[in-house]
Amino acid sequence: MVVDFEDQDNMVEQEALVNGVPNIRIIHASRTLPGPADIDNWITDMLAALTKPLTAKEKEKGTYDARQPRVIFEGTLEDAQEFYQQTKYIPLPVEAPLAVYTDGLPVVIPTEEAVAKMLKGTSHKANEIITLHEDQVVMEGLGSPKRNKGEKVLFQPMKRTATVEQVATNAVMAGCKPEHLPVVLAISESGCGISTTNFPSQAVCLSGPIVKELKINTGCGHLGPGSRANGPIGRAYQLMAINLGGATPGVNRMGCHGNPMNNGGMCFAENTDGLPKGWDPLNVEAGYDKNDSIVMVMQANGGIVGSQFSPGGYRALQKSGHGGLARRFDVKGTPGPHNWLNYLIPGIFSGREGGIVLMMIPEMAQHLVDLGFKTKDDVYQYLWKSSFEPVKQYRNRSWPDFFRNGWMGIEKQSGKPWKELPDDYMVPSQGDDPFQNMVIVAGGQEEAAVELLGGRGATFSIDAWR
Amino acid sequence: MAVQDRIYKCINPVGNVEPVEMVPLAPRLDSLDGKEIWMSITGEPDITIALERRLKMDYPNVNWRTKKTYTISPVELSEEEMKTAQGVIQAVCW
Repeated sequence: MVVDFEDQDNMVEQEALVNGVPNIRIIHASRTLPGPADIDNWITDMLAALTKPLTAKEKEKGTYDARQPRVIFEGTLEDAQEFYQQTKYIPLPVEAPLAVYTDGLPVVIPTEEAVAKMLKGTSHKANEIITLHEDQVVMEGLGSPKRNKGEKVLFQPMKRTATVEQVATNAVMAGCKPEHLPVVLAISESGCGISTTNFPSQAVCLSGPIVKELKINTGCGHLGPGSRANGPIGRAYQLMAINLGGATPGVNRMGCHGNPMNNGGMCFAENTDGLPKGWDPLNVEAGYDKNDSIVMVMQANGGIVGSQFSPGGYRALQKSGHGGLARRFDVKGTPGPHNWLNYLIPGIFSGREGGIVLMMIPEMAQHLVDLGFKTKDDVYQYLWKSSFEPVKQYRNRSWPDFFRNGWMGIEKQSGKPWKELPDDYMVPSQGDDPFQNMVIVAGGQEEAAVELLGGRGATFSIDAWR
Repeated sequence: MAVQDRIYKCINPVGNVEPVEMVPLAPRLDSLDGKEIWMSITGEPDITIALERRLKMDYPNVNWRTKKTYTISPVELSEEEMKTAQGVIQAVCW
């Protein structure tokens, strides 16, 4: 039997269903009562669940088979739009109708003809099941198992499989072109996870020749609307999560506030022409060749933090040592380059842990090189070392209770048990690995940096799906 | 036929639900006395610490065993442990 919150019944029941125990007994804990008082309310029921004889329904066995037809609708395009935009009422914790097949916006109708045209974007057969092309570890540290090359991809959260045609169908709906399909297929290898509670968001980052082939916007506004490639590819992730994975808010997609990054999805890429000499592009950092095209799939838990300084203030600092940044750094009147990272760092680590994706324009990247950051790794190490704080302070944060598994394990830097470390021992609040951090050089000319919280994700070959 | 009246066949975007073999719930116990019952704990300590203490205090005739993690994935019982386990309570939340 299982103890969980009542508002998560939908999620528990779906998880039980896909694991073959749909009638598992569930007891409800309280979100607000202190533990001992809460337990008083259900301990008797909990123990009775172990001894109360099974009902006929609980003894049932058989096969859960909810396979669906390949063609789901026949009619005019106008009627098809109505069909694909149909909604279903979702009870507590939503209490509103939500789209069944879409993100709530109109879609391109996946007619047989449109899907057949989309499939011309890959050499893979329509009925090929999506499998992994490389070994993968997803969400390491949260208990997700390693996945092996050749394994069927299970789309989360309903653990469904998919064919190349089904991925192509979602790509059509998202507004993709056939040349986008290898990217969408590579993204599909991730299983299109959506995380569970809190404020999860997803993003994909492309690297390699594909960026120029598809004319991905890596310049001004690259995270915003307008691109005929960035937008549809980002949206395809979300539609795959909805349709291939079965992700439904309040049922099995439990992000309490949702996340605006998932409205329309998010796809971006690095401006490799803007990389300073010595800074590797993302594909090389991830162990691929510079001529390989890849996609990184990220769970950006926490969203985006925008630039904390004004572009004019940044220019004043670097050109002549004037303005608020120069006063903070005590370099008034001294021309740059000055280390602008130091302005961001207190904010980065004040309330969050884990890696960050730091996006900056080429000019700002060059300033870092001029200061001695000869590689991206130098930036990662600097950020990580800046995150050190006394263990007493670190233990006052919230998430480490979870990520450090109740402080039951070993602190990696010292090799000692967490519980034996003195209060003043310095530990990295960011986590154990500087390489969780990631630098992306992109954007327009205005001096601005953006932090995407959540760090790196798994990478997948796009070329494998051409 | 006018273009707007043309009938199209439209493809299903939904992933494949692999058939799942349904398992009946395990037979219930006649009583808890003398039985080996496992607590499979996945957070949340405000409840689980108090629950573990309460069970051991109020039901001393049960052989309470514990698998504990503060993360979201339960620590699985080993095959050896499963041979003698007679009940599992999986709790709670996160």
